Amino acid sequence: MLLPLLVRPQASVMLTRCVRTLRCDATRTPLHSQAEHFLRRRLPPRPHVHSRGTKSRGRKSKSQEEEWKTRNKTVLTYIAAAGVGMIGLSYAAVPLYRLYCQASGLGGMAVAGHDADQVETMTPVKERVLKISFNADTHASMQWNFRPQQTEIFVVPGETALAFYRAKNPTDQPIIGISTYNVVPFEAGQYFNKIQCFCFEEQRLNPHEEVDMPVFFYIDPEFDEDPRMARVDTIILSYTFFEAKEGQKLPLPGY
Amino acid sequence: MSNAMNFGTKSFKPRAPDKGAFPLDHFGECKAFKERFMKCLKDNSFDNSKCRLQSKDYLECRMDNQLMAKEPLARLGFKDLMDPPPSQADRDTKP
Repeated sequence: MLLPLLVRPQASVMLTRCVRTLRCDATRTPLHSQAEHFLRRRLPPRPHVHSRGTKSRGRKSKSQEEEWKTRNKTVLTYIAAAGVGMIGLSYAAVPLYRLYCQASGLGGMAVAGHDADQVETMTPVKERVLKISFNADTHASMQWNFRPQQTEIFVVPGETALAFYRAKNPTDQPIIGISTYNVVPFEAGQYFNKIQCFCFEEQRLNPHEEVDMPVFFYIDPEFDEDPRMARVDTIILSYTFFEAKEGQKLPLPGY
Repeated sequence: MSNAMNFGTKSFKPRAPDKGAFPLDHFGECKAFKERFMKCLKDNSFDNSKCRLQSKDYLECRMDNQLMAKEPLARLGFKDLMDPPPSQADRDTKP
């Protein structure tokens, strides 16, 4: 830290000497020649400009500077526009993706969707027998009596099956219920396809009314080929009924 | 519904049924067919493959009573039950 302080007086002496030699232009000290050589090397060699004179050289460099300035400005504008465009795209992506989903019919599920024609063309895999167990639940405040009419059913993949639940409204007021379902094990849920059921739609039961609720479903035949499903023999289908209140908007899948 | 939203775990996403929801059978119009189906299941130790005829009858009843959109039964997976012998004319597919 002390070194530059020591060097500074020496440097100032050398600097004054250097300045004096430049002004007087007396005998060329080695420092002066070095400095001149150093300065000269900075500028690029322009042989033809020297002949024209200093004024034209100044104008050309000025126009070139202006050219550089305008070029820089256009480049900057392009980059700024691209940046703003990217931000706008990221905001626009949400409704655009929603439109795309509506058009393509995926409905937000990016899994390989099964098509409705599969039901027509699929063949049952008769060797693989699966037991489907049924479970019925109600929400704590839901007063329906809801239960399955069969505890289990044996199906094979690729075959459509029918199952029944029963719901009874024991109260004196009509109650509107809405249900959802769950499939255990989790990975089997993607092979469990419901053709028609009673879920996700408001079902109204009048006082003391009892109805049968069918579920029409099938297991995808590809279930048999999935190595993860090799040891799965039981699938549990569980329905839960909630009470639908007035003006309540529920997030229903696919609707 | 799925459990707490743990980050990273896959949660079960219920899918809407292909053909929507069954309207409720408030008047029990197809109850007889349902009883026949349930009896068949009980007799055959709940084997669905043996009771497909009864399930087809139940769905046909539903379609007849405006409780289900009419569809050709082949599209509901009953193609194997729908072989009409050329001599018989009573079993015909719905449009």
